[in-house]
Amino acid sequence: MLELFWCQLRKHWHKSLSASSYIVWGWYVSLLVNETILCTLYARIIIVSIDTVIRVQGLVKEYGSGDNIVRAIDRANLEIQSGEFLMITGRNGSGKSTLMHLMALLDDFSEGEITLFGNKVSGLKPIAKSKLRLKEVGYIFQEYALIQELTTLENVMLPALMLGSIKHAKEKAHKLLDKVDLGHKENRLPSQLSGGEQQRVAIARALINDPKIIFADEPTANLDSFASKDVLEIFRKLNKDDGITLIMVTHEPEELTYATRTISLKDGKIYEK
Amino acid sequence: MKNELKIPFYLALQSIKRGRKWTLFLTILLMAVAFINLIFVSALFNGIVEGSNQQIKSTLTGNVYMAPKEGQTNIDAKDKLLSDVKRIDGVQEVTSGFQVPARIEKGSRSGTWPVIAIDPASYAKVIDISGHMYQGKYLDSNDEDSIILGREIAGGDDVVMDSTSLKGAKVGDKVKLVFDNTEKTFIVKGIFYTKFTESDARAFITEKSFSSLMPTMANKATTINIKTLGTDESKVLTKVQQHYPKIDAFLWSEAAGLMKSVSSSFTSIDVLMTTVGVIIAAITIFIVIYVDIINRRKQIGILRAIGIGPNILISYYIILALVYATLGILLGSFIFYAVLVPYFQVHPFVLPITDAVLNLKWTEYIIRLEIVTWVAVVSGLVPAAIVTRSKMIDEILGK
Repeated sequence: MLELFWCQLRKHWHKSLSASSYIVWGWYVSLLVNETILCTLYARIIIVSIDTVIRVQGLVKEYGSGDNIVRAIDRANLEIQSGEFLMITGRNGSGKSTLMHLMALLDDFSEGEITLFGNKVSGLKPIAKSKLRLKEVGYIFQEYALIQELTTLENVMLPALMLGSIKHAKEKAHKLLDKVDLGHKENRLPSQLSGGEQQRVAIARALINDPKIIFADEPTANLDSFASKDVLEIFRKLNKDDGITLIMVTHEPEELTYATRTISLKDGKIYEK
Repeated sequence: MKNELKIPFYLALQSIKRGRKWTLFLTILLMAVAFINLIFVSALFNGIVEGSNQQIKSTLTGNVYMAPKEGQTNIDAKDKLLSDVKRIDGVQEVTSGFQVPARIEKGSRSGTWPVIAIDPASYAKVIDISGHMYQGKYLDSNDEDSIILGREIAGGDDVVMDSTSLKGAKVGDKVKLVFDNTEKTFIVKGIFYTKFTESDARAFITEKSFSSLMPTMANKATTINIKTLGTDESKVLTKVQQHYPKIDAFLWSEAAGLMKSVSSSFTSIDVLMTTVGVIIAAITIFIVIYVDIINRRKQIGILRAIGIGPNILISYYIILALVYATLGILLGSFIFYAVLVPYFQVHPFVLPITDAVLNLKWTEYIIRLEIVTWVAVVSGLVPAAIVTRSKMIDEILGK
């Protein structure tokens, strides 16, 4: 990140110079263009190679109390690097969704630690967690989790309203709905959309604040094979083209081909595949 | 801070716009009923107290009245006094009466009631008996053998003290008046009915007939009754007290007697009923909003999951509760002022002291409006705070 900052600083410093001649200016411009490309590539390499977005250490999640304690996550350790498309598999009750909820700050863990973008989660106050969820994390639920009283457009723009004006949020929501091929249905209520369409709205909503990471909890479980493929293609593009880190829970073996890495959970323990 | 209000307002607006219309209507109706419940009892008690106060002023004492000081039995030179008092600033009309306790007999029935000798014309300008004639006619100044009786004396099935009355005296009946070793037979010229028991338990004869019975009492009075201009009663009282230190002068409220304790009791009951009303309103509003919030638990969970903080969600529900309360207050006020008040003007509550209508003071209205508003704020705050502190994932998954 420091290297990226240094590159940007040099770029702006160069910009502010007055050129003595067109030749010198042209030489500078060519140098700057090359430098910008190099800087971007270099920064990308740095982010991709050394940024650990999530670190899970000795994580335990228990439900119940007394003799009825159930350990859903059992001393799990995991590191997820920026730009990964990680798929989590496992049987029902193995702890997949619980792990997702914990990493996405939707639930509190019993023991251990999660470090999200360098922030130790156990030390975060609820408001700080809300801000992290708002700015850095996108979450896609199996059941879409759209607000039924809001239109497609309003559902998507809602998180952006927290950070900017209604106009800005609307513009961004328009673009994202176009991106998921739902621009023509932006005034519909969720109840007027198919399951696949609702899931695409949920994806657009998850993307509205340019998150660094997206969690998707069985996003295709309620979709037919065509709609599932649409959703997975969107995920692949987000991961490959936009460099967004994706963590997805799935039951479908054929979906694993989209992943860059797969782990499985059994009795709350993580196994690399 | 801007977002802390922008998002809650946006969510509340969308919720009202897109929510179920019938649910919204019923919620607002419940709020309206809770608000009416708060203002109705207060308005009724106030109507009774105001009505009885008006009765005291218009049928018993006038705004200010004068009476002999302790130890004296009457006011002398009342004719000059009346003309002098009338010249005092703020006095509209003035009259006098000479009251004696008298025995009235009709056949086998008899009883002792206050009989007041008056100049009917001037008396009618201050004390409104002539406007409450139930049967027959009001007195003329030249009447010598005529008497008008209050309904509590004449009797009737629906009067309060029928058992001690003359049990059905009618216009044209002869009654014997006995007082101070003097007796005379009068013909009942009229029966009046003010619906104020204390007024209706009196009888009136003319000064002319009284003078013929007790010539020594001519130009004397036991009370001077003053009707003031506007509401400057206290100023007139002060002036009267300054001008006539040898005569006692009082405001009408001093003569309220029984009504004073009735008013005081009504105030206590009003406070009690208002407290109960506030509790009922609070519980109603709380339940309405709590049910609304519980129905939206999943929505709250989703909003929390996408990064909308608890304070914003609490603000959202407070705003929603305030919208419900405002619309409820508006609807309740409309029903109260456009339906209930006019209805009870036409069909008043018939009470022994007055025909009571609904009369709500603005201060009382504002206090109750504030109560409902604050109750709504708390009712929005508490359940929202509870829900936003519960486990987010349980809300989303509906556990």
